[in-house]
Amino acid sequence: MITLKIDNQDVTVPRGTDIFLAAKQNGIYIPGLCHHPKLTQYGGCRLCMVEVTERGRTQHRFSCAQPVSEGMEVKTKTPEIVKYTKSVMEYLLAQHPLDCPTCDKSGECGLQDITHDLKLATGRFKSARMNKPMRRDNPILEFNANRCILCGRCVKMCKDIEGVGAIDFQNRGISTAIGTAFDKPLDCTFCGGCLSVCPTGSWQDRTFKFRARPWELKKTMSICPYCAVGCSIQVNTKNDTVLRITSRDDVGNNEGNLCIKGRFGHDFVHSEKRLKAPLIRKEGVLSPVPWDEAINYIAKRFGEIKNEYGGESIGGIGSEKCTNEDNYVFQKFCRTVLETNNIDNLSNIKSPSLNALIHKSIVHGFTSTTSLQEMEKADTLFFIGTDVSEAHPVIGTLARKAIRLNKADLIIANLRDVHFNSTAQNDIRLQYGFRTQTVLINALIKKIVEGKLIDLKRVEKFTAGINEFKSSLKISTIEKASQITGVPEKTILAAATLLAKPGNCFIVCGKDIEEDPYGHEAIKALMNLCALINKASTPRAGVGKISLIFSRINNNTQGVNDMGVVPEFFPGYLDIDDQANRERFEGSWELKLSDSITKGGGDNIIDLALQGALKGMFVVGENPIVNFPNGKVVKEAFESLEFVVVQDTFLTETAQLADVVLPTTTFAEKNGTYTNMAMEVQRLRTAIPPVGEARQDWQIFCEIAQKMGAEFSYASPKEILDEIVNTVPIFSGMNYGLMNRRGFNWVTEHRLKAKRYRFDIFKPKPVEKKKRGYPFVLLTGPSLNHLGSFSRNSEALVSVSPECVAEINGIDARKLNIKSGDTVSVESIHDSMKIKAKVSNKLPEGVIFVPEDYEWVHVNALRDNVYTKVKLSKV
Amino acid sequence: MNTTNDQNEEIDFSKAEAILDEYEGVHGALIPVLQKIQGAYGYLQEPVINLVAERMNMSASEIVGVATFYAQFHLKPRGVHIIKVCCGTACHVKGAPNIVGKFSEVLDVPVGSTTEDKLFTLEEVACIGACSLAPVAMIDEDVHGKLGPDNVPSIVEEVK
Repeated sequence: MITLKIDNQDVTVPRGTDIFLAAKQNGIYIPGLCHHPKLTQYGGCRLCMVEVTERGRTQHRFSCAQPVSEGMEVKTKTPEIVKYTKSVMEYLLAQHPLDCPTCDKSGECGLQDITHDLKLATGRFKSARMNKPMRRDNPILEFNANRCILCGRCVKMCKDIEGVGAIDFQNRGISTAIGTAFDKPLDCTFCGGCLSVCPTGSWQDRTFKFRARPWELKKTMSICPYCAVGCSIQVNTKNDTVLRITSRDDVGNNEGNLCIKGRFGHDFVHSEKRLKAPLIRKEGVLSPVPWDEAINYIAKRFGEIKNEYGGESIGGIGSEKCTNEDNYVFQKFCRTVLETNNIDNLSNIKSPSLNALIHKSIVHGFTSTTSLQEMEKADTLFFIGTDVSEAHPVIGTLARKAIRLNKADLIIANLRDVHFNSTAQNDIRLQYGFRTQTVLINALIKKIVEGKLIDLKRVEKFTAGINEFKSSLKISTIEKASQITGVPEKTILAAATLLAKPGNCFIVCGKDIEEDPYGHEAIKALMNLCALINKASTPRAGVGKISLIFSRINNNTQGVNDMGVVPEFFPGYLDIDDQANRERFEGSWELKLSDSITKGGGDNIIDLALQGALKGMFVVGENPIVNFPNGKVVKEAFESLEFVVVQDTFLTETAQLADVVLPTTTFAEKNGTYTNMAMEVQRLRTAIPPVGEARQDWQIFCEIAQKMGAEFSYASPKEILDEIVNTVPIFSGMNYGLMNRRGFNWVTEHRLKAKRYRFDIFKPKPVEKKKRGYPFVLLTGPSLNHLGSFSRNSEALVSVSPECVAEINGIDARKLNIKSGDTVSVESIHDSMKIKAKVSNKLPEGVIFVPEDYEWVHVNALRDNVYTKVKLSKV
Repeated sequence: MNTTNDQNEEIDFSKAEAILDEYEGVHGALIPVLQKIQGAYGYLQEPVINLVAERMNMSASEIVGVATFYAQFHLKPRGVHIIKVCCGTACHVKGAPNIVGKFSEVLDVPVGSTTEDKLFTLEEVACIGACSLAPVAMIDEDVHGKLGPDNVPSIVEEVK
């Protein structure tokens, strides 16, 4: 720590801090426009001049570029400094259009604030206005070069943090301007980072333009409703309308960074297409009815089904998008009022072994990050089976921060050559062949063990079964693994070396592994790898550690599982068949659980519906017909049911089949918590009252329960949370008050001692043969611009990304005479679809890739539970 | 990738690839790479810049940013012969604007551009250090001094 004097005030800050930040942190104001704490230092705006006295010498320095030193004396407001700063401002303003009355930035503009602070009036310079044309070449962002002061913040944001580098300084001298290469239209990820760091009104949000003044906006801290990173956002509202999303650099794990969905995809909240009133199917048509009628009808029908066939004939699908509180009440409602344990959520149906595997990884201390933000301290990053830039863009920004500041090494293993911009010194890409992920991981393990890249004695001390494990590795060779996977031996060696090096290692295991029919093998192999390289299990604890993070798709996919909307567990992963657990919940809920509340035969609820075991279904905030693989079968299953209730914000394909549809609220109207993929429970807050007649999910469950004669009521999400905290051990100690700036991490909060790991020895199943006549494998994956029914109803996102395209390999394309832009027909045994093709060399031969998050593209209807074989032809 | 340039000519990437191979893994090699590529292709064309961007793990906008900063790089095609008319103080006094105007008239191009047959590029430069010969122009490496508007057509013919 360094102590210095700023304006006669003693200030103590860490070594390496610049004067500007030291002053800011201690409440001393220095003007400045190019400095930004999350960007590298630039010193371009020239405003932050201070007087520095050091070892008897007094000099003028730019405070943002001058690190503090012991005994330094800094003066920020001498007459000379003020005169200098004023004249710099005069130069900046000489070319500035001073169009504040028509500029959206007015009121939160850095340039405007400093002009006011320095009490600048008419300048000495007369200058012609630049009158450069407005750059308006995309639906979301526009750039007004006339307002730009060339501080370079957006350039650094785009290049260093987002890793895109779409813009840079172009030309020289007086004609310098921020622009793209060859003045092409902006081609980027539209993260809006430029917008968030711009100190003037140069970058403008076209979706927000002229709709409100900054001072009229009410800002509510909340959590993004899209992916499982759980970025903190500020919902900006005026007159109960969500107008824009901003972010704060100092709250949450995203450091103010967002992606296109988070920043611009909020307009679905006020979409025309939102469900306005409850609907009941009358003579085949869904017609609006008052709430009372809908609730009475549901209670009556569920009651009838329960009496006739038993409670277990009603299925419940919980929501990956609703809050923890909603899901907790839902499972309690299903288990105690409907008396059914046939409840589940789509993520658990898709990857049935994942919850148990994640639990195993927690028990052995592999999942031990307190927040995703810790990733920025990584020394090695290993992304396997995940397309980070599409699925979780903000993880990309955290990874790039680790690469930039911590010189982290990067390994990306994927079937596709996924796009990830990095400047890592060691950037290794392992593009493995189809269904060879386990072979690849085992090859890495073999190299680490047999190459003695780690201290095996130490590993032996903290694990069990290493000798058997070592001998099990002898069966195959690296050479053979290299042949099978298609990854060169040299690359395997390089990756193994990086994984074995000391330091923090972050592994993100993605959806391509989790949803793979043989994914559980890969995850087991991955845990073997973790056990080998986990330095936390060595005596020098804290020197370095492993963090295995399982990628989740939606904002609360983790939470819906945590809350026990699965047949195997009560909330908090408590075994449902365990007597003590049953008593715990019976005590808390003050009732006796029905004997039908047991695990059952292992068939998921879609199968049960198909078998005719289910008569009724309650779907909350999900669209399984589109979002679940083999949508055709799901549709059949739903059509076979007697009574279906769907509770959603939009009339989705599933809702269109329902007997009753209930309008519910979106994130902006909700209060409660979401849990992200690093097990952080984070707080969202009500920004606006429910739109139209929509009601809160938990409230609806309570109303139906009461109508069905149960004593079931909560006053607020807080009361629900209190019940969760008091009943579920993993959440003990949690409360809303703790969650103002940081989430509550239910793994690390209870510092459990890691259990001794026993190496898992298994034989990977052999590769299956191709189906005749279906030469291609259909691969689906995430998309940056879309995720389910929210993005589908966001005009901003649809305008940026209106069409879903199928990617095919160049060699396959040539064989079939397909060019980019041609329409192709993709056909599986289940269904077929027509889609535009894009030739891409990022795919291996024989694979077609279609993003699955364009909800209107029914690619899931083609899929089945194992690898989907398809044929492809040009239309 | 686009394999034709703005003149719709096929581009042979092999020269650029060879240059990029030579600088593979060298940190901070952008300017020498661009110089060599300009040497090989005459100017920096978009498809080649995109190739450089891909191979050097940089964004095209950054490369264009560098290329537009330095006067030595050209993003537009240049002629076989480069005519640099000196517009320094001495030459200006001695009537350089007339010389520039005449060149422009004879070649039928504005200053800073290239003739349609891609034979000449006409440029103004600040001073070439031959003030005693003012007004002066350089055509490629040859200095033509004591110019008058009347000499211009014959000089152009001579070079052709």
